[in-house]
Amino acid sequence: MTFTNPIVIGLEVHIELDTNTKLFCPCPRTGSEDPNSRTCPVCLGHPGSKPVLNEKAVSSSIKLALAVRSSIAPRLIFSRKSYFYPDMAKNYQISQYELPLAKEGSLALESGKKIGITRIHMEEDPASLVHPAGMKESAYVLVDYNRSGNPLVELVTKPELTSPGEARDFMKQLITILEYLEIFDINNCIVKADANISIEESGYARVEVKNITGFKEIERALNYEVARQQQEFKEKKKITPETRAWDSERGTTSSLRAKETEEEYGYIIDPDLVPVTLSPGFIAGIKRRMPELAHEKLAKFQEKHGLSEEMAKIISKDRPLAEMFEAVSAAVNPELAAKWIRRELPRVLNFAKKKLEETGIQERHLVDLLKLVEQKKITDKTAQKLLELLVENSFEIKDYVEKENLEVMEDSGALETACREAIKEAQKAAGEFRKGNEKSLHFIVGIVMKKTKGKADPKDVHTLLKRLLSGG
Amino acid sequence: MELQRVLKEAVGINDEFHFFNLIDTRAKAQGKGRLSEVVISVKDCICVKGLESTAGSAILKGYKPVFDATAVGKVRSEGALIIGKTSQDEFGFGSFNVNVGIGFQVPLNPYDRERACGGSSGGAAGFTAKAPFRHIALAESTGGSIVCPASFCGVIGLCPTYGRVSRYGLMDYANSLDKIGVMAKTMEDIALAMKIISGCDPKDPTSLDAPVPDYAALLKKPITGMKLGIISYGLGKGVDPEVSTAVKNTIKRLEDSGCTLVEIELPLVEKYALPCYYILAMAEASTNLAKYCGMRYGAQENIEGNFNEYFSKVRGNYLGEEAKRRIMLGTFARMAGFRDAYYLKAAKVRAKIIEEYKKAFEKADVLVSPAMPFVAPKFSEIKRLTPMQNYLADILTVGPNLAGLPHISVPVGKNKGGMPIGMMVIGNHLEEGNVMQLASCVVEK
Repeated sequence: MTFTNPIVIGLEVHIELDTNTKLFCPCPRTGSEDPNSRTCPVCLGHPGSKPVLNEKAVSSSIKLALAVRSSIAPRLIFSRKSYFYPDMAKNYQISQYELPLAKEGSLALESGKKIGITRIHMEEDPASLVHPAGMKESAYVLVDYNRSGNPLVELVTKPELTSPGEARDFMKQLITILEYLEIFDINNCIVKADANISIEESGYARVEVKNITGFKEIERALNYEVARQQQEFKEKKKITPETRAWDSERGTTSSLRAKETEEEYGYIIDPDLVPVTLSPGFIAGIKRRMPELAHEKLAKFQEKHGLSEEMAKIISKDRPLAEMFEAVSAAVNPELAAKWIRRELPRVLNFAKKKLEETGIQERHLVDLLKLVEQKKITDKTAQKLLELLVENSFEIKDYVEKENLEVMEDSGALETACREAIKEAQKAAGEFRKGNEKSLHFIVGIVMKKTKGKADPKDVHTLLKRLLSGG
Repeated sequence: MELQRVLKEAVGINDEFHFFNLIDTRAKAQGKGRLSEVVISVKDCICVKGLESTAGSAILKGYKPVFDATAVGKVRSEGALIIGKTSQDEFGFGSFNVNVGIGFQVPLNPYDRERACGGSSGGAAGFTAKAPFRHIALAESTGGSIVCPASFCGVIGLCPTYGRVSRYGLMDYANSLDKIGVMAKTMEDIALAMKIISGCDPKDPTSLDAPVPDYAALLKKPITGMKLGIISYGLGKGVDPEVSTAVKNTIKRLEDSGCTLVEIELPLVEKYALPCYYILAMAEASTNLAKYCGMRYGAQENIEGNFNEYFSKVRGNYLGEEAKRRIMLGTFARMAGFRDAYYLKAAKVRAKIIEEYKKAFEKADVLVSPAMPFVAPKFSEIKRLTPMQNYLADILTVGPNLAGLPHISVPVGKNKGGMPIGMMVIGNHLEEGNVMQLASCVVEK
């Protein structure tokens, strides 16, 4: 392969799937953190135990393969990847080799640039190693098999990323897809990447940085690595192919081993697992159950709903928000819906530190609320307050507005009375206004809004006050 | 059945012949069922909950499984008395039960203590021959480990279709070849035990979801019209003439009883089954044995050095010579640069061999040949064999094992020296019934 870009990056991303149980045994994937409490003879590698494939992990992996438009293998075959390591219950890992689940797909970055995907395969996670006194200083290592056998899907890109920023964006786009597909939960699933990075100056000597967690870390680690390689080049040191570890705390990478030859894993087909036929009908069934994805929604929001690109991007990235928008915009003006779903809803959610799913806010709440706004029956201010209340408690908007008498004051007599009172209370500001200071009107408007408990339309108050002050 | 008497007799026999790696002196039968009053021995590689199970290897010394193998659970729930764990070649690596693990005793042939029981299920066969009470052995075959010792010890041994009996709880030798089967003195006990342990198991994805027939009823079915395929190379060069004659006489008697005979050529099986079997079995075995490293269970050493040094020390000290040989050969066969020529080619040849058998079953209902080309050899003779000559002993048994076909060995007389001879009957996939039907006729005669 000939490269022309100054920086060339390829990623191997490991994604932990959001399943209830492990890949080959009924142990819970998450739960008790007591060491070795979520284990059984299968994930501990006891003699005589046999793996039984988790079907949900298979359909989740297929969803990802379909979402990145890759071609899916006709059969699911697992292989044994053999190497000795204390975190391996059987001293081989059940993975896929000759025939991966899927090959040849692509994923678009935010810029629209498509990054090729070489392969997608399933495998089991090893146990975790605990170094009680730190990685380098510990005299011994503890092994916790709670993680042993957790379901992973590995996605390998082509070396088509040309900057650490692109690598970060790739991870972001990937995570959006994973969340849309509901096969990954950022709160309890790990996503890790190994990055292959090379620079033009070194003649593209391939350096692999292992074990980078999260998309912000990818950019940090790769920025460091690019700078390090460029510095080595300036110092006329030779950059050789090697494997390096990322130390997130120090923000540096360090050499693990030289890459002289390909590692020898002695793959054989795992004879404990029968090949599973992935028929076109089975794949089609999974496809039918897949949601519309972010990039599809993005296009639709612009074309069908007339949203600006920026607005459409923000809403389409988050599946619950996007689906809320679709439901609400069917009943009220899409631009009004977009404005509230993009700005006001995230604002109150952030303030309450809650996710949309954690509140009782339903589509009908927003539809009712925005209809009242659209019909000018309540003010924006009232609507904002109602939304804040909704985050805490679920209630019927219309009943509440009626009960609390929150509708815009249409009684012009009452509004005029309130305005006159306000002018009396704010003689000084009134005087200033008459002298030509437009700004002092805001103060009086504020008093009126307080008196009317926000039910008055600020525009009406403005006009009325002006008339009273100049005329009266 | 008097428990104390049974245990005492078993211990007495074992002192003389070394059939057991462990006798459970606290054994108790629980509940009642079709196996009440029946003593069951279990090959050491099949897990019995709470009972030391080592697959005949020092590296698993002290390992007590936390669960019963599915087959063990099934016989237990039928009221069987599980008496102990029978001797075997370490992890099944042998044809004479002389490749026992470090510190284990070699079982002696019940007919001549200077001779081998056969392997790898030697203890199972020997004890089946000697037990003075009703006894069924749970045994296991990868390349002939049931019919070989059954033949050498003069008992009946049946290895079913691959997947017929769940492998859950069977310590793996070669997962695509391992089958749990049974040994007994009567066809009625073989049929009963097979009925009980067969069937699909959600814990073993390779177990077959196929109905299990009433084998006992099939034993009485007349064999008139059954087509017997005589495997030509099974009675040819390299087979002991006394063995050939005994098998030929039996075939003649079966013809007289109404069977029709047809000669079957199996050129691929004859030429390639043995190398194909050993490559696949060793490649799989070398990955299966990787887990034994002294870290989670079994033998341990003082912790010194890094994990590689520790694993090497434990494996170096506790695995026997043949286990090491097979790990090395198997690892070689699957290494990059060699796996295409060995492992992957053997997998393709295996498919061809299965095809050849399938064609044979278009002409015949069952295939017959001797189980072993000779009677149980003396230990002194075995010592002189090279590893290659050792592997050649399996020439007749690896074919059906590689193809996953059900096969049985039934005694068909003895040679002049009084050593038993076994005839092998091979059936099509899931046709254990045919095999038992014919075997039953042979036993009665």
